[in-house]
Amino acid sequence: MPVTHERGYLIPAVDSESVDYLRCAVQLARSIRHWHPDANITALTVKSCHDPVFDHVIPLPHGDLGGYCNDWQVFQASPYRQTIKLEADMIAASPLDHWWTIFEKRDVVVSLGARDFYDQPAESRYYRKIFDLNDLPDVYNAITYWRLSATAKEFFDLVRLIFKHWPEYKTLLKFPEESPSTDVVYAMAARIMGPESVTLPQGLGPSIVHMKRHIIPTTSHDWTQELIWETDPFRINTVAQWGLVHYHVKDWALHG
Amino acid sequence: MTQGALIFAFDNDHIDYVAMAAWSAENIRRHLGIPVAVITDREDVKGFDCIIHCDRGSHNHRWFGDFETQMPWHNHARADAYRLSPWDQTLLLDADYVVASDQLRCVLDSSQDFLAHRWARDVTGKNDFSGLNYFGDNRMPMWWATVIMFRRCTHAELIFSTMAMVRDHWTHYRHLYKNPIVSYRNDHALTIALGVVNGHTLDHAGIPWSLASVVPEYRLTRVDTDRYRVDFVNQENQSRWVEIRDQDFHAMGKKHLGDMIASHT
Repeated sequence: MPVTHERGYLIPAVDSESVDYLRCAVQLARSIRHWHPDANITALTVKSCHDPVFDHVIPLPHGDLGGYCNDWQVFQASPYRQTIKLEADMIAASPLDHWWTIFEKRDVVVSLGARDFYDQPAESRYYRKIFDLNDLPDVYNAITYWRLSATAKEFFDLVRLIFKHWPEYKTLLKFPEESPSTDVVYAMAARIMGPESVTLPQGLGPSIVHMKRHIIPTTSHDWTQELIWETDPFRINTVAQWGLVHYHVKDWALHG
Repeated sequence: MTQGALIFAFDNDHIDYVAMAAWSAENIRRHLGIPVAVITDREDVKGFDCIIHCDRGSHNHRWFGDFETQMPWHNHARADAYRLSPWDQTLLLDADYVVASDQLRCVLDSSQDFLAHRWARDVTGKNDFSGLNYFGDNRMPMWWATVIMFRRCTHAELIFSTMAMVRDHWTHYRHLYKNPIVSYRNDHALTIALGVVNGHTLDHAGIPWSLASVVPEYRLTRVDTDRYRVDFVNQENQSRWVEIRDQDFHAMGKKHLGDMIASHT
């Protein structure tokens, strides 16, 4: 994809059997536009979409390879010299544009760690056992920045290789997943390249608010039925949210 | 500008909070050199620079582990501290907070309008306090109302008036924050009030160290002036003790503190 702008947000949105990620992406893009009306926002999808919230809707360069295995295509697909890739099932609860200043001196930044809705670092390691067992950096691909650079190319080439050759790469891990998750693949790529080359020190860069049950904590999977939430401003159990909130309950986007 | 400490002391049948407050007043004067006011409903009160009589208001019942019984707990008036304090700058202390050093001097010297402790810790290190530093089913990070410094200003007035609002509508707020504890607690009201006043964020300047605490199941004894011993049983069920010296702490078990004060005075 030729470069059309210096900076922009890229939202991969390939539906799964149960989740309409394009709808999530529209919701996320609208929340970014709320704070930054002039932001460049691109959706990366296999569906047709004419929602004006996106500047571009572009197809996956190599087509839908299934599930998480599409992720490495973001590097080739982005129309921006500097890209912030965002997972679709999130909402921007506050301005994000100061992130560019944080990121711009680096070639690649994958976010590190997550927060609960109180803005405290997520303490539960329930979802991160494989990271701890294998001494992998605690990366979350939900927020990933890169600028066109050799480092970024090397990183996404590695991501592609790990996805493609997962049966071999997984032998490097203790208790590996059968199907690779993007976070684990990113963490392996980060470990191979050196985590310091693709992350910022913990606490310096942005991190997502993670609304999974064991982090918040709630008694059920669907926090939207258990916690009190308000929009405009976005608050959960009265606590004002900022940055990106990974709401996790995918159909919540329909109401948010 | 006047500066002083303020202690609420409403006795019940088992705990002489006024005696605790009077003993604490001596320590406060000795270490911090400030006058001490007490708010109570008792008439026969001595040992304070200022005595403010106030109705104890409604009360809760709560379980006191060290007495192994339910008792009345007269804690509702604390939200009125801003209105009742005779001082321009007030150090509001629980009667069971033991002043054994001048460490609160730097709280009084700070330029903040309102300070409290965000974290408490077990002086023995046995408990991580992960339960006590949060409240409600969704683990709201809690501020402690045990030590509060406030200046007479709009900000502090708002915090206390919001605390009073929470107190007066406790059932609503208890449900809102999914708090399984039925009894009104000032720590919870303070936490909610700080959130509301600070734009529904948890960002607020706090006292820059954690609140040293002695839980009710430990035995607390006085060794000497400003020296205390805490006997406890560790995780391996072995008897151990630590000494607290020249260090303020929150004696959460009123029985041991009461016995200690009674034997000392």
